Amino acid sequence: MIILEPTDQVKKTGKDGSIFVTIGHYALSNSKNTSVIPNFTIFGLGSCIALILFDELNRVSAMSHILLPRVFSNKKILFPHKYASLSVKLLLEELLNHGAVRENIKAFFIGGSKIFNIENNLMGNENTISVRAELNALKIHIIVEDTGGLKGRNVIFDPKSFSLYVKSTGGIDYKKLY
Amino acid sequence: MKKKGIVLEGVQFTPEQLDLLKEMGNIGSGHAITALSELLNNKIDVSLTSAEIIPFWKVVELFEAPHVEVFGVYSEIHLISDISIIQIFTKESVINLINLLNGDSNLSVEKIRTCDDLDDLSLSIIAEIGNILSGHYANALSDLLAIKMVPDVPIIALDILSAMLNGLIAKYSQISDYLVIIKTKLAMKNINMNCVICFIPSLDILEKLFEILNIKYDMDL
Repeated sequence: MIILEPTDQVKKTGKDGSIFVTIGHYALSNSKNTSVIPNFTIFGLGSCIALILFDELNRVSAMSHILLPRVFSNKKILFPHKYASLSVKLLLEELLNHGAVRENIKAFFIGGSKIFNIENNLMGNENTISVRAELNALKIHIIVEDTGGLKGRNVIFDPKSFSLYVKSTGGIDYKKLY
Repeated sequence: MKKKGIVLEGVQFTPEQLDLLKEMGNIGSGHAITALSELLNNKIDVSLTSAEIIPFWKVVELFEAPHVEVFGVYSEIHLISDISIIQIFTKESVINLINLLNGDSNLSVEKIRTCDDLDDLSLSIIAEIGNILSGHYANALSDLLAIKMVPDVPIIALDILSAMLNGLIAKYSQISDYLVIIKTKLAMKNINMNCVICFIPSLDILEKLFEILNIKYDMDL
């Protein structure tokens, strides 16, 4: 089954029905009992981070689209996956709730670039540092990190094969990073 | 007595206030457009301004083709708090403008993959257009509000529109899930130019702006 964050408006894109993961949202795939498994995609990743956690053996994976390194206000949080400080933990919990085993879990995280090259534009960098710190604190094995730079990225994750494809703006083709 | 409207993080947005934001957008973009028109010796065919209060994850939907590569010109105005102005041009628009303003230039869209493919003169043409638009926009609002608003030197990028918007969305949705975006869409058909100018004030500066207008123009906002 494919589970999407309840308040989200994720659109299906492309003829293959791939799921575009909107900013501050997540998607989860628990592919034990299903044959139709769409790809998870993000087109135009700038300072945001695409975080993917997955357990290949138990065939559960999830992807979130993170905007900020941490929470900056005291208000009620309606979109926890907006924040690196919350999304990593929550995504892990979701995976475990769907039968993933802690030791199997691997992580990819992509993004955190700086599109407008201004000195005080540090959001991408802060997001990268925050996601990495959260993953390390939870002792989750980071398999692929493709972050930084001055270009946007497109990310495609295939929950069937756990393959990861990334293309940078101005690049010709997608690179298979896993 | 304030009429009921949208309450956003303690800031109340009545229909009158939203109309006012749209009017500010009209005034700002009107001045910007006049200046651009004079520079290009061409009139603007289409100009539409809207004021939106929009959840952070829907900002991308304000644009027709968010996954396409575009030129972005970004400037910040530093006051008590921040304001950003971002101008989005289609690739074709920028190439046409450069070719129009530089008689020796004969650029084509296919050859321009990144900003590095543009020579210094081309980049300075884009920067100058960005300067003219943001400068006149801010100037008009400075006069209206009697506070000095001077945009920083604009920064140019060529990238996927949604990637370009990440930083803006991050900056203005730190303390709120909503952003206020005043958006003007403009087109010059015979030179095939399409541009969107967005003026994004932070929530705290908006409160100040409404306060100023209340006092200066004896409004009841």
